[in-house]
Amino acid sequence: MGSRSRYLWLLPSAALLGVILALPLLKGLAGGVPGIGDALRDPAVGRAAWNTCLFAGISVPLELGLGLAFALLLNRDFRGRGLARALAILPWALPTAVMALSWRWIFSDSWGIANDLPRALGLLEEPVPWLGRPGTAMAALIAADVWKTTPFVTLILLAGLQGVPSDLYEAMSLDGAGPVRRFFWVTLPLLRPSIALALVFRLIQALGIFDLVWVLTGGGPADATRTISLEAYDSVFRHLEPGRGAAVTLLAAAGMFAVALVLGALARGRGDA
Amino acid sequence: MKRLLPVAVAAMAAFSLGPFLWSALTSLKPADELFRVPPTWIPRSVSLDNYRDVFAQRPFARYMVNSLFVAGLSTILTLAAGAPAAWALARLRLRWSAAIEKGFLAFALFPPAVLLVPLFVAARDAGVLNSRIGVAFVHAALNLPFAVWSLTSFFRAFPADLEDAARVDGFSRAGVLLRVVFPVSAPALAATAILVFIFSWNEFVIALTFLTRDELRTVPVGVAMLSGVTAYDIPWGQISAAVVVTTLPVVAAVLAFQRSIVQGLGAGAVKG
Amino acid sequence: MGRWLRGFALATAAALCGGCGQSDGRPVVRFIVQPDAGGGYRAVVEKFALARPDILVEMVEGPASTDSREEMYIGAFMAGDSPYDVVLMDVIWVPKFAAQGWLLPLDDRFPSQARDAFLPGDVRAGIWDGRCYRVPLRSDAGMLYYRSDLVPDPPATFEALAARARGLKTADRGGFVFQGRQYEGLVCAFLEVLWGHGGDVLDDSGAVVLDSPEGIRALTWLAGLVGDGAPEGVTTYQEEEARAAFQEGRAVFMRNWPYAWAKLQEDGSPVKGKVGIVPMVHAEGRESAATLGGWGFGISRTAKFPDAAWAFIEFATAPEQQKLLNARNGAIPTRRALFEDPEILARHPHYPELFRVLLAARPRPVHPQYSRISQSLQRHLSAALVKSETPEEAIRKAAGEIRGIVGK
Repeated sequence: MGSRSRYLWLLPSAALLGVILALPLLKGLAGGVPGIGDALRDPAVGRAAWNTCLFAGISVPLELGLGLAFALLLNRDFRGRGLARALAILPWALPTAVMALSWRWIFSDSWGIANDLPRALGLLEEPVPWLGRPGTAMAALIAADVWKTTPFVTLILLAGLQGVPSDLYEAMSLDGAGPVRRFFWVTLPLLRPSIALALVFRLIQALGIFDLVWVLTGGGPADATRTISLEAYDSVFRHLEPGRGAAVTLLAAAGMFAVALVLGALARGRGDA
Repeated sequence: MKRLLPVAVAAMAAFSLGPFLWSALTSLKPADELFRVPPTWIPRSVSLDNYRDVFAQRPFARYMVNSLFVAGLSTILTLAAGAPAAWALARLRLRWSAAIEKGFLAFALFPPAVLLVPLFVAARDAGVLNSRIGVAFVHAALNLPFAVWSLTSFFRAFPADLEDAARVDGFSRAGVLLRVVFPVSAPALAATAILVFIFSWNEFVIALTFLTRDELRTVPVGVAMLSGVTAYDIPWGQISAAVVVTTLPVVAAVLAFQRSIVQGLGAGAVKG
Repeated sequence: MGRWLRGFALATAAALCGGCGQSDGRPVVRFIVQPDAGGGYRAVVEKFALARPDILVEMVEGPASTDSREEMYIGAFMAGDSPYDVVLMDVIWVPKFAAQGWLLPLDDRFPSQARDAFLPGDVRAGIWDGRCYRVPLRSDAGMLYYRSDLVPDPPATFEALAARARGLKTADRGGFVFQGRQYEGLVCAFLEVLWGHGGDVLDDSGAVVLDSPEGIRALTWLAGLVGDGAPEGVTTYQEEEARAAFQEGRAVFMRNWPYAWAKLQEDGSPVKGKVGIVPMVHAEGRESAATLGGWGFGISRTAKFPDAAWAFIEFATAPEQQKLLNARNGAIPTRRALFEDPEILARHPHYPELFRVLLAARPRPVHPQYSRISQSLQRHLSAALVKSETPEEAIRKAAGEIRGIVGK
C-alpha cells in the first residue's frame, strides 16, 4: 500500500462533509466577513459572549465531575447495572426543547417542584421565581444543562474505562496500592484521551447552547441569559440580517476553536497532543 | 466502600430520573390538576386521557418509524464514513493527521441555525426536500466530526502489538480493522453510535424545514406540533405523555443494541 | 466513493420523493398554518376544493410555536423561490416581509371599499409604505380580565387598578398578573399601559417619542407593581402562566388575550362564571388601547399562480368561512358584521365587550425593523421589572437604542 493510498481511508468522510456541509458553510459564512468589525464592537455581542462563557465555564466542569463519578460507578459490578446504565442515559435521550419546557414548569414559583420540595424540607420560606431573577435564572439554566448533558460525558468515560486493562489493576493491587492511588496512578492517566474528548465536545456544545435557553428563559430576564447563538439566531431569523448572524457565528467559532484545542491538548497531556 | 455503593447508585438514579419522573407524573394528571398550588406529587386521579389524545391528535407511531429510520440510517452512515477515517488518523502515521483532525473539528463549530438557509438551498436544488434519506445524510455530516474524534481517541488506545501480530498472521489492513480492531473497540463503537443516534433522534431544525409532509415527520417535530385549540395554550399533559411514550422505547432499544454489539463483537474477538 | 455517495443519495431521494411537489397540472396553492387542532382550517380547504375543483390547495401544518412557523417561511423566502404561495402572517411580520420584497401588494384585489367591512386595526396592520399586503383572517387583542365576584365594578384607571390589586391581594392570591417574561408578550402588555397613558413608541412621522413623561410614567406604574400588586414571579410569566394563576384563583386581575375566556369558563374551572372583561384601563383623561394580534393572508411574490392564491384568500376570509373557523377553532372574526351574527352571539355572549376591545386595538410600531425595536424594548422593560434599571433609565436607554435603529 503506497503512502498516498493511505489517504483513501479518509475519502468517505471527506466526501460526506464536502458534498453536504462545505459549500453551504462557505456560502453561509462568507457574507459574515465584512461584518466582523462591527460585531466585535457591538456591546450586545460582548454581553452575550460573557454570558456564554460564564455558562460554559460553570456547567462543563460540573458535567465532567459528575460524569466521571457516574462512569466509575457504572463500571463496577453490581446487580441491576444494566438498568442503572439505562437511567444514566435517559436525560440525554429526551428532546431538549421539550424537556426545557418541563424545566420551566419545574422552576415555576407557584406549581414548580423546585419550590415545593425545598419548602417541604423547610429550606425555603418564600417561593423563589428561579427564572425571574438574573442570577437565579443563570443558575437554573446551568442546573438544567448539567442534568441533560452529564450522560454524554458518562457514556464517553465509561467506554474509556472499559478500555482500561484489568490486569493493570491487579498488578497494582498486588503492590498494595489502595483505590485512591490506583485511581490517580492508573485510571486517570489512561482516561485522559477520553476526558479530553468529552471536554472538547462538551465545550463546543455548551458554547453553542441554544434550545434550552430559548425555551427556558428566552435570554431574560434583562438579557442575563442571552447567549451568543441566540444573538446569531435572532440576527438571521428575527431581524433578517444574515450577514450579522454569520459574523457573530464566525467570531464565536474562532473563539470556540481556540479554547477547545488548547483545553483539549492540556487535558490529553503533552505527549499525545 | 462496598456499603456506599448502593447509596451512590441510588443517588445517581434519583438525579437522572427525577425531572423525568416529574414529567411522567404530569402526563398522568387530568387537565385541572396541572396547575394546583401546591402541586400534587402523586396524581390524585390518574388519567390516561393524555396518552389517548396524543395518538388521536398526531400519528406518533408513524413519527417514531420515521425517526428510527432517519436516526438509524444516519448512525450507519456516520460510522461507515467515520471509522475508517479515525483508523487512518490514529494508526497510519499520515503526515497531515493533526491538521486533518483539527479540520474535522472545525466542522463541528457551526450551529445548524446558521447553516439552515444554505443547506435548504442545496437540498432543494438536489431535489431531496421531503426525503428522509436526505435528512439522514445531513445528520450524518453534522455528526461526523464527533464520531471521527471519538473513534480516533479510542483507536489510539488500541494496543499496537495486537495489530502487528494480526498483520504478521497475514491479515490485510481492512481485515485487521474488521476482525481485530472493531471487536476489541466494541464498547467505544457502541458509545459513539449511541451518542450519534440520539443526536439525530432529537434534531429539530433540519427535520422541521426539510420534511414538511406530515407522513415524513420525526418525533421532535411531532411533539412541537401538539397544540391546544389556540396558539397560546400549551397542552402540557399531552406533551409530557408524548415524551414518555417516545423516549422510553428508545432508551430500551439503545441499551439492547449496546449489549448485543458489545457481546457480538466481543465474542468475535475471542474467536478471532 | 464521493461520487458513489452522491449518486446513491440522489437516486434514493428521487425514488422516495418521486411525485412530490408535482400536481396533476392544476395550479397549486400552498401555505403553512398552526396545528389545526379544531379542524376548522381543514374544513375550509375541503369546502374550497368543492367550490373550485380547478385549484389544489395544500395546507402544511407547522409547529404550535409561532417562531418556528416564521422560521419555516423565512427559511423558504431566503432560499428564494419559496414553495409557499400564500403566507399566513402574524400582524408583526407584514412590514418586515414586505420591505424584503417577499410579498405581492394586494391594493387592486383588496381595495378600500372591501377593507371597510373589516376591523380597522386589523386592516391598518396590513399596510406598509402605503400599500396593502394582508387580508385579515382572525383577530386578537389584549384586554383586562377581572374577578366579577370580588370586583363588582371594574376599575377604569391605572390608579384604581393598582389600588384594587394591592387591596385585594392576600397571602395566596396576587393582585394583577400579566406577561412579564422577556419576550414579545411583555412588549404587548407594556404598549397597552403606554398607550393608556397617552404615550407611544413612534409618532406619526416615525420619530421616537418613547422617552416622553408619559412613557416614564407608564413603566414606573408597571414596574412598581412587581413584587407588590403583582407577584414577583410575574417576571417569568407568559400567557399560560398568567392564565393558570388567574384560573386557580390566585389573581384578581389579568392582562391576556381573548383565548383565555373559553378556558376560564370551562366546566370544572374554579372561576367559571366569576370572570368579566373590559378594555385595559387608562390614565385620567386618556383612552384605553389594546395591542393588536391576529393572523391574515398575503401572497408571495414568487407565487406561480397568484390568481389561484387570491381565489383561495377571498374564499377563506369570507363570512361563512370565518364563522366556520370561529366554531371549530375559536378564531375571532375580522369582519365587523359577524359580531352581530346571532349564531356567533349565541355561542359567545361576551363578544359585544370583546368587540369594544377590538375597535380600540392598535398595531405595534409598524416598521420593517420592528423585531429589533421589540428586542430593545424587551431588554429594558425586563430590566426595569427585575429592578436592575430604574424605569426612567430603562425608557431612556430603550429610546436611545430605538433611535439608532430607525435613524430618527
